[in-house]
Amino acid sequence: MSCNPLIRLYRGYLRVTRFLPPVPRNLFTTLLFLCAAYLVSDTLIGHTGAENNSALVFVLSVMFISLLTNGYFYGLIASLVGAFCINYFFMFPYRAFSLSYSGYPVAMVSMTLISGVVCALTSRVKLQAVEAMKREQDTKALYELNAKLNEEKAAIQLEAARETIRGNILRAVSHDLRTPLTAISGAASVLLSSEEIAQSGKNLSLVQDIKSDADALIAMVENLLSITKIRDGTMPLNKQEEMLEEVAGDALLTIRRRFPDFPIALNLSEDILYLPMEPMLIKQVIVNLLENAIRHSGDREHIQLHLFRQDDWAVVEVRDRGRGISPEVSRAVQSGRQLTDNLSGDSSRGMGIGLSVCQSIIKAHDGFFAAGNDPEGGAVFRFGLPMEEIKDE
Amino acid sequence: MNEKRVILVIEDEHTISNFICRALSANDYKPIPAFAGKEGLSLYFSHGPDLVLLDLGLPDMDGIEVLQELSGLPQETPVIIISARDRESEKVKALDMGADDYIVKPFGVPELLARIRTTLRRADRLKLSRGSQKDIYHIKDLTVDIAKHQVLLDGEEIHFTQNEFKILELLCIHAGKVLTYDFIQEHVWGPYGSSSNQILRVNMANIRRKLKENPSEPKYVLTELGIGYRMLED
Repeated sequence: MSCNPLIRLYRGYLRVTRFLPPVPRNLFTTLLFLCAAYLVSDTLIGHTGAENNSALVFVLSVMFISLLTNGYFYGLIASLVGAFCINYFFMFPYRAFSLSYSGYPVAMVSMTLISGVVCALTSRVKLQAVEAMKREQDTKALYELNAKLNEEKAAIQLEAARETIRGNILRAVSHDLRTPLTAISGAASVLLSSEEIAQSGKNLSLVQDIKSDADALIAMVENLLSITKIRDGTMPLNKQEEMLEEVAGDALLTIRRRFPDFPIALNLSEDILYLPMEPMLIKQVIVNLLENAIRHSGDREHIQLHLFRQDDWAVVEVRDRGRGISPEVSRAVQSGRQLTDNLSGDSSRGMGIGLSVCQSIIKAHDGFFAAGNDPEGGAVFRFGLPMEEIKDE
Repeated sequence: MNEKRVILVIEDEHTISNFICRALSANDYKPIPAFAGKEGLSLYFSHGPDLVLLDLGLPDMDGIEVLQELSGLPQETPVIIISARDRESEKVKALDMGADDYIVKPFGVPELLARIRTTLRRADRLKLSRGSQKDIYHIKDLTVDIAKHQVLLDGEEIHFTQNEFKILELLCIHAGKVLTYDFIQEHVWGPYGSSSNQILRVNMANIRRKLKENPSEPKYVLTELGIGYRMLED
C-alpha cells in the first residue's frame, strides 16, 4: 500500500511542510491551491477566452486541497470560495458578482456541489488509504513481536527441559551412588572390626582410608542430592514447622559421628524458634558450615554453634577462632554469587561446593547468608530464616 | 540364652546384604539373607526369625506390603526398615504400620548394630512383661514414677506440667521405639487435638530444658528429624 501514489504525494507534502503546525499548514495549503487555480484560470482565459475551463481548474484544486489538508472542512470552504471566484472573476460581467443571468445560479450550485462531492470522495479515499497503511504496519509489528515471543518461549522451554534433565541425571546418579557407597563403607567397617585386620598395621590403615573416603563421598552425594532438590525448581520445598534446636541438635549428632575429636559448643537462646523449613535441608546447611569450620579454620577447640532470634529472623551462627576467611569468600557468600568456580583452585578442597549448597538452600528458604571475620580472630558464618512464611509465595 | 538370635535380612542389593550379614555374624547373630519380598516371606515362615531387617525398595513387591503381611501375624516379630528413600512420609507410614524402627541409607555398621540391640531388648522386655505396665521407669539418672506422678533427676524432684508428664510417660513406656508426632499427639491430647504439632514441640523443648539435655549429646530424648521422638534406653 505504501506505493499508492496519492499517499506518497500526501506524505511528501507533509514532509516538506513539517515546520508548520496543522492549522496554519491547512490554511496555507488552501490559499496556495486557490491562488494557483486563479492564476491558471486567468492565464487560460487570457489565451483562449473560453470561460468553461476555469470550473475544471477549480475542481482540480479542490481535489488537491482535500487531499493535502485534514478532514473535509478546508475542501468544502475551498469549494465555496472557488464557486464565488469563478462567478466573480471568470464569468461575464468580469470583476462583479452576478446571479441575474439565466443559468448562473444553476452553474454556481452545481459547481459547489461537484467540488463538494470531489472533496468528500478524495478525503475518504485518502482516509482509507491511510488506515490501510496503518493496519498493515500494525500487522507487521504484531507479527514481528509474535515471532520474537515465540523465539524467547522456545529458548526458555529448552532451558527448562535441559535443567530438568540435568537435575534428573544428577538425582539418579546420586541415588545410584548411595547404595554402593553404603556397601563400601559398611564392608570397610566390618573389616575394621575383624581381628585379622586390626592386628596387621599396614592393612588397617588402608581399610581406614577406604572407610574415610567412602564416608566423604557419601557426604558429597548428600550435598548433591539436596542441591538437585532445589536447583531444578520443579519441586517446591516441602516445608513444615520445625524446632530449630532439634534440627541443630541432629546436625551436631551427625558431625559428632563423623568427627568425634572435635568438641563443638552449642549456645541456645531462650527463644522458641519454631518456624517453617525443610528440616533435612537446613540440617545440611548446619552440617556443611560446621564441617567447613572443622576442615578449614585450623581451630580444633573453639568452634561454636549459636541459635538466637533477631527481630523476625531465626539466626544460626557458626564461629571459630581459626585463621579466618579471605575477603573473596565473604564477598561471594554475601553476593549470592556462585562459589564453586572461584574457589575450585583453592587449597580448600570442597569448601566451594559445601558453601554453594548452603547458599542455594538458604535462598530457597528466603533467608539471608553472610560471612566475615571476627575482629578478635576467627571466621563467622551466619544465616537467618524468616520466622513466618512469606504470604504471597 | 546361648542360642544365636536369628535375623532375616530382606534386601535386594547383594553388596549391602553381604556386609550386613558379615557384620551380623561377626556380632554373634545368625543372619538369613533374602533378596526379594516373596522369598523373604517364605524364609520368615520356615525360620521364624527374632528380627526382620526390611528394605523398602524390593524388585518383586513393595516393602510396605511385606510389612503389612508381617505385622498381621501373631508372632509380633520386630521389624527394622532399611530405606533409601529420604521421604519422611514413607518412614512415618512404615512406623505407623507397625515397624519398630528405621535406618536410612547410607548408614554405618555401629548405627545398625545399636538399633538391632535396642529393638531386640525391647521385644524381649515386652514378651516378659506380657503387656502389664511397669509403675516405675529408671533410665540413666532419671526415675519416672507413673503412680506417684513424680520425676526424679539425680535424686532431685523436677516439676513437670500435666502434658509434659504425659509425654514423658508415653516415651518411657515405649523406650527405645520411635514415636511419631501423630502417635504422641493422639495419646496425649486425644484424637481431636489440634492438627499442628506446635504445642507438642514446645512441650518437648521444655522437657529437654528441664532434663538439662545437651542437644549434641542427648542422654534421654532423641529427635528423629521430621518424624518424632525416641526415649533412649538405659
